[in-house]
Amino acid sequence: MKFTLQAVEWNPWLPVVDPASATPEQAAALDKSPSATSPYFLTLAHDVASLDQRSPLFHSVMYAPRGLPRAERELATVVTSVVNGCVYCSSVHARRFAELTKQPEVIARLYEEGLGTPLDARRRAIVDFAAALTQVPPAATQEHLAALRSAGLGDLEILDLIHAVAMFANANRLMQTLGEPVPPVT
Amino acid sequence: MADVIDTLLDLPAGSPLAALRAQRADYVRYTQGSYEVLLAPEDPGGLSLVERAAAALRVAMVHRDERLVAHYRERLAAVGGGGVLPLEETLAEEVPASRLAALLHHADRVARAPGQATADHLATLRAAGFGPRDIVALSQLIAFVSYQARVLAGMRLLAAEVPP
Repeated sequence: MKFTLQAVEWNPWLPVVDPASATPEQAAALDKSPSATSPYFLTLAHDVASLDQRSPLFHSVMYAPRGLPRAERELATVVTSVVNGCVYCSSVHARRFAELTKQPEVIARLYEEGLGTPLDARRRAIVDFAAALTQVPPAATQEHLAALRSAGLGDLEILDLIHAVAMFANANRLMQTLGEPVPPVT
Repeated sequence: MADVIDTLLDLPAGSPLAALRAQRADYVRYTQGSYEVLLAPEDPGGLSLVERAAAALRVAMVHRDERLVAHYRERLAAVGGGGVLPLEETLAEEVPASRLAALLHHADRVARAPGQATADHLATLRAAGFGPRDIVALSQLIAFVSYQARVLAGMRLLAAEVPP
C-alpha cells in the first residue's frame, strides 16, 4: 500500500477487547488513551499495565511544551514511519504536519521524490537524523548531530527529536505487527 | 529500581545530560515505568519473566547495542533463564521448533524488519500457546526495546559531542 495524506483505517489481527466486557482497569487505561474506541487501543488494552505507561509517554513526546516545535516532531515521526514502511502512522502524522504548517506539499514531495527531496537546512538536518536513527541498528553519527547544531537546534530540541524518533520505532512496530492498514475509500 | 537509561549511559547525578533529561520528567518517568511493567510485571500472565528477558535480549542483539545486550543477558540470568543463552546465539541456524524459538524468531523479525510482518506470524505465536494478552505484551516489549536502543544511541551522540 502506498504512502498517503488521506485518512487510513487499521484492521487488527487479534480479537480486540470488547468495551462492554472490559475490566475497570482496561476501561481506565482506554480513557487515558487518544481513542477509547479505536481497534488499535482496544488491541493494546489486552495488556493494561504496558498501555498505562505508554499512553502518557507517547503524549509527552508529541506534546510536551517548549523544545522542538510540534510540526518538527510530526516531521520526524513521518520520516521514521516512511523508513519503516508504516503507511498508517505516516498518514496520521503527515496530516498533523500539514495542519500545523499548511504545507502538505512538503509531505507530498517526501512521498513522491523520497527523503532526499530538497528541503531547507533545518528540515534537511532533522530528516537525515531521523532517517539514520531509525535504521537497524541505529546509524546516526556525530556528523548528523553537527548538522542539527548548525541548523540551530538546542539541547532540549535534540532531546525531543531523539525521543520522537524512538517513540515511532516503537509505534511503527506495534501498528505494523498487530494489524494492517486499510486503504482509504476513493 | 534505578533508572535504566541513566545506568546504561553511565550518567552521574548532576551531569549535564542528567540535567537535560530531568527537563522532561515525563519521558524519564514513563520510560522507566514501561521498562518495569514489561520486564518485571506484578502479574506476568502467560509471558514468563524468562521469556520477557529472552525477547528483550534478542531485540538488543538485533540492534547490536553491546551495553543493552549485556544488560538483558544479566537480566535473563537473574530471572533464571541462563539456559536460554545458547538458543539466543544460534537462532539464525536451524533450531528445533519450540515455544521459545517461536518467541525469539518473532522478536528478531519485528525488531529487524517491522514492515514484513504478516497475520500468519501472530497465528504462529497463538499455535505456540501465546494468548492475546501475551502477544500484546510481547509486542509492547519488542517495541519498547527498539525505542530504548534509539534513546541510548541518540543520548550517546550528545554525550560524545565536542562543542565547536
